[in-house]
Amino acid sequence: MRRFGDIVAVDGVDLAVQEGEIFGFLGPNGAGKSTTVRMLTTLLRPTGGRAVVAGFDVATHPAEVRKRIGVALQDAAIDPLMTGNELLDLQAVLYGIDRSRARLRAGELLERVGLTAAAHRRVGTYSGGMRRRLDLALALMHEPVVLFLDEPTTGLDPMSRLTLWEEVRYLNKELGTTVLLTTQYLEEADQLADRIAIIDNGRIVREGIPRELKAQVGAPTLLVAVPDEQRERAREVLVAFGDIRPTAEGTLGVGLRDGAEGIAMVVRSLDQAGIRLHRMELNEPSLDDVFAEATGHSLEGARSRLLEPAAGAPPTKGRRRRGGRK
Amino acid sequence: MTAALGEDRTYGVASDPRTATVIAFMVKRSLIRIRRIPAAFLPSLAMPVFQLIAFGGAFAGALAYAKINQALDWYVPLSCLQGAAFGAMGLAFATVNDLRTGFFDRLRMAPGGRAATVYGPLAASMVRAIIPLVIVSAVGFIGGAALPGGVLGLLTLTAAALGVAFCASGFGLGLALRMRTLAAATLTQFAIFFALFLSTAQMPLDFIQGWVKPIARLNPMTNVLRLAREGFLGEVTWQDTWGGLLAIAILGTLTTVYAVRGLRSFDK
Repeated sequence: MRRFGDIVAVDGVDLAVQEGEIFGFLGPNGAGKSTTVRMLTTLLRPTGGRAVVAGFDVATHPAEVRKRIGVALQDAAIDPLMTGNELLDLQAVLYGIDRSRARLRAGELLERVGLTAAAHRRVGTYSGGMRRRLDLALALMHEPVVLFLDEPTTGLDPMSRLTLWEEVRYLNKELGTTVLLTTQYLEEADQLADRIAIIDNGRIVREGIPRELKAQVGAPTLLVAVPDEQRERAREVLVAFGDIRPTAEGTLGVGLRDGAEGIAMVVRSLDQAGIRLHRMELNEPSLDDVFAEATGHSLEGARSRLLEPAAGAPPTKGRRRRGGRK
Repeated sequence: MTAALGEDRTYGVASDPRTATVIAFMVKRSLIRIRRIPAAFLPSLAMPVFQLIAFGGAFAGALAYAKINQALDWYVPLSCLQGAAFGAMGLAFATVNDLRTGFFDRLRMAPGGRAATVYGPLAASMVRAIIPLVIVSAVGFIGGAALPGGVLGLLTLTAAALGVAFCASGFGLGLALRMRTLAAATLTQFAIFFALFLSTAQMPLDFIQGWVKPIARLNPMTNVLRLAREGFLGEVTWQDTWGGLLAIAILGTLTTVYAVRGLRSFDK
């Protein structure tokens, strides 16, 4: 729990992250993600409750926690006047890594994040993506047991985002690093996280495996586009297959009670009713649906901000599309 | 709130950093910043040199009346202390900048955090103070300042300058950590001016009149200035030394505590 005067920023956050997993912490701006991370990384003292990181209480043994964690903060907190090499040297000094090992480690990390050629340049000349990758390298300098990534891809271009995702997967799969990732991007959590927690207004409102959470939301939504004059008739047909759901103008949505297996029956019934089907599309529940179901509102703008600039990027995992024109 | 992340492991754990190594690196960082943005450091060098020349000319007659051979003998130590103290403004400014960029959080999260956030910057201020000390003294000696106290006089001047740099920086850092805005740098400058000029900065105590006199008598900076000046005004004696050293020790302790408590305020 964390209070700022009368304001309760975080309350009711009960979560356990297993060793070696990627845990996604999902929520809109101001939900309490960063406050929680600041408490877990010893930057902010909890005003109530208990938090244990890598086996140590953050309030009573902050120094032990600090030795075991790596943190890449939201804004790539880097001194722009220093070079990449100088910052890695500083990180080595701060974490008590001896000079020869530090040099070796810095070389490895720079190569892995693709910054070897830029390492002698001032960070002020780096692009946003390069800063984030350097920030990640800095966080990994002392080979942390637990890695905190606070909104690591906010503001990054699609290519930099994919590169960073690959790096996070590598760290987790190959090195066994436990990763706690905060994000407001649904797709990011869906792509990377083994488990997620959704936080809203300082409280955890859902926690679990993304696939299971989506399944809990309920039936997939079948979207059908029919001529305007046949819409009412189509609605009467569709209601037999599940609950009618709000959709964008020009389409009808039905939550298929029998799941994807019910599509054939819907098509047949519409055909028998003489309704011309322009287009149909099956939307499986997404994390946005999970979020909406848990909080009563959508994670507004999160999907569009992530997906719109990512044209050409691989299709999203959470929202598979089937169907087509008839 | 209950949260548990990972289990303790025996690998992937950083060592306890050596405080001296962290402090040395923070000093290096400070010097790197001077080299890369010299314009930010220049005022703390130019102002004391300007005041040395201006005061040396303007108050020459008055100081002669006070039986001081040359005005420069009186003002070189003052300008050296002023240059040393101005480093505190730079430190307050740099600290607020680090807070704004989040770099300060990076330092706080490290096992060597306190050395990096408090002791390192304080040491850096003392090292930076050597630059105006050398340049202002050189300008003074070129202008004809005398040093009858010899090497001991240089040592007392250096001790006073480094002491002032340490105390002023502790105050500037403490203020920056509490206010967390650039106003901290401005207030630090005000405080330095008040502390320096409500003392025997411009005239010997016997020649100060009015409300300034009792303040100057009680102001610990008067003792520090006596320490800085004794080699320029005659032989170095313990009588003129101990008061300045004691003032530095007390002020240094108080301002360091102020800075450390400022750092602790982040936990609240």
